[in-house]
Amino acid sequence: MATALKPGSRFKSAVCDTQVMVVKAPAGEHELCCGGVAMLAPTASGEGALDANFASGTLIGKRYVNEDESLELLCTKGGQGSLSLGATPLDVKQAKQLPSSD
Amino acid sequence: MADSGVAPIVDPLDDAAAHWAARYRDVLLDGLSLSPPSRAATPALHPALRWARSGMMSLCGDVDRPPQMCAAPLAAVADGALAALASIASPSRFADLDAAALLAERALLTGLRRAGRQSAGGACRLLTCADGLIALSLARDDDWSLLPAWLEDDVHDWAGVEVALRRRDRVPLVARGRELGLAVAASEPAPQRIAPWCRIVAGRAWRPLAETVRAPLVVDLSSLWAGPLSSHLLQRAGARVIKVESVTRPDGARRGSPAFFDLLNAGKQSAAFDLSCPTGRAQLRQLLRHADIVIEASRPRALQQMGIDAEALLVEQPGLSWISISGYGRAWPQAQWIGYGDDAAVAAGASDLQQRAGGSAIFIGDALADPLTGLHAAYAAWASHLAGGGRLLELSLVGVVRHALAFARPHDDAQLRRRQQRWTARVSAEDIRTATPRQAVQAAPVLGADTAAVMAEFGLPC
Repeated sequence: MATALKPGSRFKSAVCDTQVMVVKAPAGEHELCCGGVAMLAPTASGEGALDANFASGTLIGKRYVNEDESLELLCTKGGQGSLSLGATPLDVKQAKQLPSSD
Repeated sequence: MADSGVAPIVDPLDDAAAHWAARYRDVLLDGLSLSPPSRAATPALHPALRWARSGMMSLCGDVDRPPQMCAAPLAAVADGALAALASIASPSRFADLDAAALLAERALLTGLRRAGRQSAGGACRLLTCADGLIALSLARDDDWSLLPAWLEDDVHDWAGVEVALRRRDRVPLVARGRELGLAVAASEPAPQRIAPWCRIVAGRAWRPLAETVRAPLVVDLSSLWAGPLSSHLLQRAGARVIKVESVTRPDGARRGSPAFFDLLNAGKQSAAFDLSCPTGRAQLRQLLRHADIVIEASRPRALQQMGIDAEALLVEQPGLSWISISGYGRAWPQAQWIGYGDDAAVAAGASDLQQRAGGSAIFIGDALADPLTGLHAAYAAWASHLAGGGRLLELSLVGVVRHALAFARPHDDAQLRRRQQRWTARVSAEDIRTATPRQAVQAAPVLGADTAAVMAEFGLPC
C-alpha cells in the first residue's frame, strides 16, 4: 500500500515491534515496508509473516536511509524486521558527528 | 552516599560568612560518609565576589545590558567541590587551581559573551512556548534536519522554530524532541531541598578510605567538557589518564578551540580505536580490563551496542570504579535523553531561579552543567577508588546542577530577591572586569598519538 510520507509521521511494523518516525522523505507515494510487509499507521491493525529476507532487525535510535538519502527514518522502537522502501533495503545512516562544543 | 536529604545548612541571608565553600565541601564529604584526616582550605572571599572576579558574572545577562549577579552561590559550589577532591587527594596538587575560574575558562579562552536567552556558546536557546520556556540545543549540524519531523512543519532556522513553538505546550514538544534525539528540556524550578547528586547503580556501598593506594589508571571514553575536565583533575591528583577515542568519531572538541582542548587534555595519552569494527571494540574491551577508573559520558545503549557492559565489567573487576556521566541518569526512559551543559542547567532550574531572584530568564555562564559535573565526577571517582573501587556511579548533568542550586537556597522568592540585591551591591565594576584564564602548559596529544604504545603495553589484539 503506497502512502505519502511526511516528516514527523509515524509508522509501525505489521510483523514485528519496529516503530519509526519519518525524518525526511521524497514527495509522492511510497511503499514503506518492515520485515517485507507494508508498514501501518500507528492506530491501524494488520498482519502478515516476517519475510526471512528482511529479518536483520532494527535498532532503537538508529536512522535508516535509502541510497541517495532522500528518505530518512528514525527507529523509535526496535524489532526483528528490517526496513525497506518497496523491495530496496534501507541502510543504517552513519552516526552523527559529535558536536565541537555545546 | 548522598542518599539522605541534607537539611539546609546555611542561613540564606548570611552575608558575613566566608565559609560557604567550606560548607559545600563538607556536604560532599559527609554525603559520602568520608572523613579525611584533614580538609582542604577554601577561598575566604565571599561567593558573590568570587563569582564576579572569576569572569562568570560578565557571562550572565542580556546583550547590551549590565551583567547579573547569580543568586545561587555557584562559585562556592565549585570551590567546595574542588576542596572535597583536594581533601581526599593531595591538597598541594590543587593549591594553584581556581575552581570558580574553571567555570568560565572556556568562554574566556574563546571570547564568548553573554547573550541572554542564547547560550554563550551559541548552540542553545531559551524559547517561549504557550505554557513556558524550553531550552533547545542544536549542537550538531544534523540536528537541524530533525526540525521538520519534530515540529511537523517546514522549519529550518531559529526564527521558524520560535514561530512554531509559540502556540504549543511544552510536554508533548519535549517528549517528541527527546524521542528524536534532540537536546530539549523544559525550564523547571530549582529544587527546594538538596537531593542526591551521585547514585551507586551497582556495586558496593561507600566505606572508609584507604590511606594509600597506587596511582590509578583512568580510561576516559568521554568527550567535550565534563568528562575530560574530570579526568584532567584526576590527572592532577596523580592518576595516569588514557583518553580513548573512536577513529571515525573523535572527540568533537578537537575541532573547537585548540587552547581549550589543550587545557583539558595535555599530558593525557591518546589511544584511537576503530570502534566501528569488531577488532577495535575488542581492543577497547581488553584495555578496559586494566582500568581502575573508567570515565564515560555516552548513553548506556551506545556502549551496549558495542558489547561493553559496565555492570558485567564490575563483576569481573572488583576494584573498578565506573563513572557514568549522562544528561539525566541511567534510569529508563531518562537514559535515552540527550543533555548538554546549557540545556541541562535550564532543566535543573538555573534560568528559573535567576528570574525568581529578580533577574531575567537567561543562561547562567557557559554550559554551566559541564564544568560543575566535571568537578563532582572527579571527586566521586577518586573517592570511589580510595574506597576500594567496585562501584558503578551515576552522575547526571541535571542532578549535579539541581544539587548545586538547592545548596543554601532561600525557601521563598522574597528572600531570594533580597540575597540577589545584597550580593549585587557587594560587587563593583572593577570586580566584574574580565578575568585571565589559565593556559595549557603543553599541547594535547594528537589523535591516536599513543595507540601503538598502549597496544604494546597492554597486549591488545591487532
